[in-house]
Amino acid sequence: MLKKRVIFTLLYDNGMFVLSRNFRLQKVGDFQWLKNNYNFSKIALSIDELIILDVSRNDKKEANFLKHIGLLTEECFIPISAGGGVKTLECARELLHSGADKIVVNTLIAESPNIVSEIIAEFGSQSVVASVDFKFESESESESDYSVWTNNGSVRQDKNLSEWLSYLDLLGVGEIYLNSIDRDGVGQGYQLNFGVNFFDKISVPIILAGGAGKSQHFEEGLALDHIDAVATANLFNFVGSGLELSRLSLIKKGFKLPTWNYSHFSSLKDTFNIL
Amino acid sequence: MKYLEVAIVDYGMGNIRSVTSAFQYLGIKTKLISDPEEISRSPVLVLPGVGSFKSGMKALKKSGANEAIVDAVANNGSKLLGICLGMQLMGSYSSEEGGSDGLGLLPNSVQGFQCRQEFEGKVPHVGFNAIYPDKRKGIFKDLPKSPEFYFTHSYYMEQGNLQGNYAICRYGFEFLSAYEIDNICGVQFHPEKSQVNGLILLKNFMEKS
Repeated sequence: MLKKRVIFTLLYDNGMFVLSRNFRLQKVGDFQWLKNNYNFSKIALSIDELIILDVSRNDKKEANFLKHIGLLTEECFIPISAGGGVKTLECARELLHSGADKIVVNTLIAESPNIVSEIIAEFGSQSVVASVDFKFESESESESDYSVWTNNGSVRQDKNLSEWLSYLDLLGVGEIYLNSIDRDGVGQGYQLNFGVNFFDKISVPIILAGGAGKSQHFEEGLALDHIDAVATANLFNFVGSGLELSRLSLIKKGFKLPTWNYSHFSSLKDTFNIL
Repeated sequence: MKYLEVAIVDYGMGNIRSVTSAFQYLGIKTKLISDPEEISRSPVLVLPGVGSFKSGMKALKKSGANEAIVDAVANNGSKLLGICLGMQLMGSYSSEEGGSDGLGLLPNSVQGFQCRQEFEGKVPHVGFNAIYPDKRKGIFKDLPKSPEFYFTHSYYMEQGNLQGNYAICRYGFEFLSAYEIDNICGVQFHPEKSQVNGLILLKNFMEKS
């Protein structure tokens, strides 16, 4: 049986890693800082997948972003998804060559769905993750309560969330990363209040993002049948042994996550250099 | 005894960067090779690969790497690890894209999940899943009883009547997820993306028996 997943999302802004709260960005440090202060390779041992998004709002420097993906592949032996401003097939190819396994697209879906189709045709549906930023609208009608926003949450789409998800399924993306703008970086828990049959027609895995602040929030997300993975971008709430303890507690409570022996990781390093 | 260097066959298919990083983490020297002469002479080879079977075979044949790999394994006793598409290419045949022959290092053939009418799982099969090794030795040494590895594929290798050490995986039905027959090893999953379990398997592969 396929396991569920806990995903960490790194937000990258021109050489720095940032925190986002309701889409307002706050710089926290560069790659070296991440390594020194957060022992990132240790954090990476407690997750099943890494997503790295280039959220630089202006003056994106692609080469530098690609370099950072490469650096991360030396620290993390897990699947890596990368994106943020992907506009062309070539750009997708470069991300994959730099060490990414999957491409994350968001605004491209609205602006050039044909390019998304090209990426799927070239690299397969499993290599495309559609990121969807949504906002709560109203409680009144059961399934049409959420709006969809692209361009860093600044352009509202005509389709509501339910229609947008069906559209993505049709387009043939491999996974959907569902990020609540209202709850982004707030740490009060995921948006879980979808209708009972909301995801019935969606055939691809759903990753829940936006709002996790503690282990209990992961539990709430993973407990839902139609949710395959939970993600957090909250560096501060899960630093130190935070993620490790969360993961161990989830496994203890019977959540179906993959397991491995953490202690072997450091003893395996350079084991072939010791003669 | 351990091998200290691995040669990774670069034929333009797949995520070589991650495979290289994983070996380097273990302290193993890596080199990328594509020249058939060099492939024939390498004592330890890795055949990675992501993409379709047909284009993979085409790429190998273009440089003559296909014959060099068979020569290295069959005549020079080189150790070989095929990863994902690389594992499938070592089989005899795949039905993907109208069908094509593989390297034929083992008799098993490759089929699509979607070819099975009774199959109800999502395709591709993506994510961490457990494998069930028949013996916990060789490439499966030091691993848990049913270790989890990261898979991403739409085609699978049939079990056949394998001699040697092997592991199955269950996704709707049982398929071959890893094998080790003398100097030939193949894994359907990505050890370079499978945390500690993957690193242990790569370490085992680099040990001389």
